[in-house]
Amino acid sequence: MTENFEPKVIAFLCNWCSYAGADNAGVARMPSPANVLPIRVMCSGRVSPEMVLRAFRSGADGVLVLGCHIGDCHYIDGNHRTAKRMPLVRNLLGYVGINPDRLRLDWVSSAEAPKFARVTREFVETVRALGPLEDEMRGDDD
Amino acid sequence: MTNRDTLMEQVRDHVAKALGHLDGVLALRRTGVGTAPYLFQKGDDLSSLVLEPRYPMAKIISSLQKRHPDAEFGIIARACDARALVEMAKREQIQPDRLYLIGVACTAEEAEECHCAEPAPDLDPWPHAELFGTPAEGAPPNPLVSTYNEMSLHERRAFWEEQFQKCLKCYGCRDICPVCFCESCALEDPLWVEPGELAPPFPMFHLIKAMHMSGRCVACRQCELACPAHIPLTVLYDLIQQDVGEMLGYEPGADLETPPPLQVTFDKAPLRTEIAE
Repeated sequence: MTENFEPKVIAFLCNWCSYAGADNAGVARMPSPANVLPIRVMCSGRVSPEMVLRAFRSGADGVLVLGCHIGDCHYIDGNHRTAKRMPLVRNLLGYVGINPDRLRLDWVSSAEAPKFARVTREFVETVRALGPLEDEMRGDDD
Repeated sequence: MTNRDTLMEQVRDHVAKALGHLDGVLALRRTGVGTAPYLFQKGDDLSSLVLEPRYPMAKIISSLQKRHPDAEFGIIARACDARALVEMAKREQIQPDRLYLIGVACTAEEAEECHCAEPAPDLDPWPHAELFGTPAEGAPPNPLVSTYNEMSLHERRAFWEEQFQKCLKCYGCRDICPVCFCESCALEDPLWVEPGELAPPFPMFHLIKAMHMSGRCVACRQCELACPAHIPLTVLYDLIQQDVGEMLGYEPGADLETPPPLQVTFDKAPLRTEIAE
């Protein structure tokens, strides 16, 4: 594994909850890792499996999908689809030998700035421990 | 005369009778140049109607129904065809009310070949249907699928990397698939799959296909048969289908009422496992 490896993490944040949560975390000056590159989407239900795979293909070591809590979706039930889809994508990654922990789905409301900071910190540490995706794809991990 | 010949005679007789009230029956026709799908109509020579090889007809009947919005067609369907027709009907690609299903049960050997759990078509979902042939016992699943959990991440990656490297990107798996019907396909979108790269970069192409098959694949094995590189695609599709079964309690092709779970909300198809981690 590369020394001093800084993972690249793409975070898909829903416009109404998680992006606002991230914003509040910033306003409140809560430390959250700079490895996270946020992409704002209108709803976590917009995040297609293709987008997740494309993020990995474009060099992300981990992908984080954050949306409103179930029941709080701005579009009533957009995140229901995310909740069904993302676990399947995780499983598929596992089936072709990519560590499924490189993809994480969680719910962060606009009032949960501390949770945003915690989830991003945790996730970056998880991915750091897994090492670069490139190494995993080359088979250097084990 | 073997059992299979008797069955063929029975089916031909039945088709002849059914053509009395139907506008046509979609089946396979064997001629001097080969075997191909054909819409038999009144007066056609039914002695050229055959039951082999297996060939998916769901997309053909779908386009026939769309082109002839009032016609009533019959179709010769094996178990997997019937399941595919159900999935297509749920996605508004087939109208079950004006489709007459002539079901043909597969033999035990055929079931073995396809690792098929249900080699006889289930007629319950269909308003007009008839079954021919003796239903055989289902075959056990692909051993690779049942022992998959024993493989480490590293072994899995090595296995699939080798398999996917053989891919010619001929799109045969998609074209033959009886439940792939989108007019614009994600696999042809340069945003997701880079054009001109061979083999398609691991694992985008195949994971997109696998993801689109979840909650939809009827295990007809046609993609594997069509694949010129002999990639065992259905191993991946079977695995994801097991997950769909566990997580969402959905079995593709079982009935016309249950909505495809990935397309609907929790009140219509709840998640049976814990939401997120």
